[in-house]
Amino acid sequence: MSAQALSVENVRIELGAFALRDVSLGVDPGEILVLLGANGAGKSVILETIAGFHRPSHGRVRIGARDVTSLPPEARHVGYVFQNFALFPHLSVAQNVRFATQARGRAGVERPAGERRIAALLERFGLTRLADRRPADLSGGEKQRVALARALATDPVVFLFDEPFSALDAATRDTLRDELADFLRDARVPAVYVTHDYAEAMALADRVAVVDGGTLVQEGPAERVFAAPRTERIARLIGVENIVEGRVRTVNAATAVVALGATEFRVSLQDRVATPGQRVSVSIRAEELSLLPAGQAAPAREIAVPATVLRLAGHGPLVRVGCDCGFPLTAYVTRAQCRQMALAPGGALTVAFPSEALNLLVA
Amino acid sequence: MRRPTLFLAFWLLGSLVLAFIVVPLLSLVAAPGLTGLLRAAAMPDVRAAIALSLGAAFVAALFAAAFGVPLAYVLARSAFPGKGVVEAVVDLPLTVPHTVAGIALLLAFGREGVLGEPAAAWFGLRFWGTFAGIVVAMLFVSLPYAVNAARIGFEEAIDPHLEKVARTLGAGPWRVFTRIALPLAWRGVMAGVTLTFARAISEFATVALLAYYPMTAPIKVYELFLRFGLDDATGAAVLFLGIVLLLFVVLRQFAYGRGGNRGFGR
Repeated sequence: MSAQALSVENVRIELGAFALRDVSLGVDPGEILVLLGANGAGKSVILETIAGFHRPSHGRVRIGARDVTSLPPEARHVGYVFQNFALFPHLSVAQNVRFATQARGRAGVERPAGERRIAALLERFGLTRLADRRPADLSGGEKQRVALARALATDPVVFLFDEPFSALDAATRDTLRDELADFLRDARVPAVYVTHDYAEAMALADRVAVVDGGTLVQEGPAERVFAAPRTERIARLIGVENIVEGRVRTVNAATAVVALGATEFRVSLQDRVATPGQRVSVSIRAEELSLLPAGQAAPAREIAVPATVLRLAGHGPLVRVGCDCGFPLTAYVTRAQCRQMALAPGGALTVAFPSEALNLLVA
Repeated sequence: MRRPTLFLAFWLLGSLVLAFIVVPLLSLVAAPGLTGLLRAAAMPDVRAAIALSLGAAFVAALFAAAFGVPLAYVLARSAFPGKGVVEAVVDLPLTVPHTVAGIALLLAFGREGVLGEPAAAWFGLRFWGTFAGIVVAMLFVSLPYAVNAARIGFEEAIDPHLEKVARTLGAGPWRVFTRIALPLAWRGVMAGVTLTFARAISEFATVALLAYYPMTAPIKVYELFLRFGLDDATGAAVLFLGIVLLLFVVLRQFAYGRGGNRGFGR
């Protein structure tokens, strides 16, 4: 445990009617953990507990090798980045960054060194020519760079992000997310990132923890969690487009045969339990689906299902294709592919996907 | 198109409000003429009363800021059992009739009062008919303005994330208050101090009961009216009004002036 950059162990907190129940999580050096959940699930409370704004009634918080459970926020060395970046509006860019170094009480003896460090941070984030500007005069990208420079000035052991992009327009959000991902990869500072936006989670996460009702309901490597949510609720929280109802036909040691519509599929049981005759739900991520001209054979090791196009809807550069395979499925194609395949409502096509894309959900 | 009619009607009603405020004041200002004004300004007791009012209200505003702002911050930032009671207590002076407040202060700060007696015994401080008494009377009626305005400043002018981020950057609660909260709430704090000053300098009844002498300007105007009639009272009243208005313009400029947050913490 002590090798982890951050560990939260069995933390319990009561805050009025809300409670965190036995939350445990860990972040390894250089790793990005995304806490994903709906509003009010408790993601921000977990972050604030790591930062020291709530005292757990039970459990411990460790940052690096230190047990910080009873330390105040100012002694914890976390870099906290909030929604809209929370820059001090009455201070210039340089003063915002300087606040961090002065607040750590280094001002006296190390002033020249402190100033050199501020200059280096401004330089690193391309902020030197903006040093005297006020936050109100900065673009979204510039604000993010100031927030990161300011947080880095305290030599944080771990970065905490609380939906920093939620108030930005979509285009700015995408750009800033890319910049942030680059920064975190380069800086190798571990981070916990809170969001309710699963697309953001997919873009940033090494690991994902899904938060619901004050507990972690599923946690693991990002691709694993996104591919195999345990329950229907988790599947919806992480943005799985297709949740299909079916019935279990037969079960053996590792797999179950599940009927979806008129078609039977072999679905890996993983750690789930199923009994013949049971009604179940199966999730299939839209990104696993490929659309082929009707009758075309599926690629090796993929399953092909004949389907009819129900509806098409524009979705930015993509087209959302609603299909009827005897059960409903939603897939995405680029607008160019949609033209080339001459997709139109009522038209026939083949939907193909790897058998691992089928994920059995427990109730 | 109902909106224009609505706004026209409301403007008509609103202009009655404005006229109701402005007309009496204009009548007052027009009444004495320059000679009346100069005669009032030449009276040493009128000048002394105005100076006393300004001084006492200034000291009251300082006390209100020193003790009211911390309370405002506590109310803005923390939840605790009985918070509603504390808030009600803060607003109490607004609802107590000022003569009643004067009697209450006399009882508490008088020679044998629970506060007056130890203050006299330990610090030699007396409140009946003294400068300190005037300040106490002014403070009692005006403190709610300082607390409430500063509290609004702390609650509305500051994104709570700013104080949290400051903590994670290594600043303790004191530093967060002095470097982040106070500079950002500065307009609210100054608005509160300005309102406190305004309320304090205009107070008559509470001050009259606790300290009729030395005379503050409102009491002096009243005394001139009783002893010499409207003409003499009017000159002193206009002089007092002019000085107070001038001061408010300056104070407001300082409190709300360009940039708002400038002038502190830089």
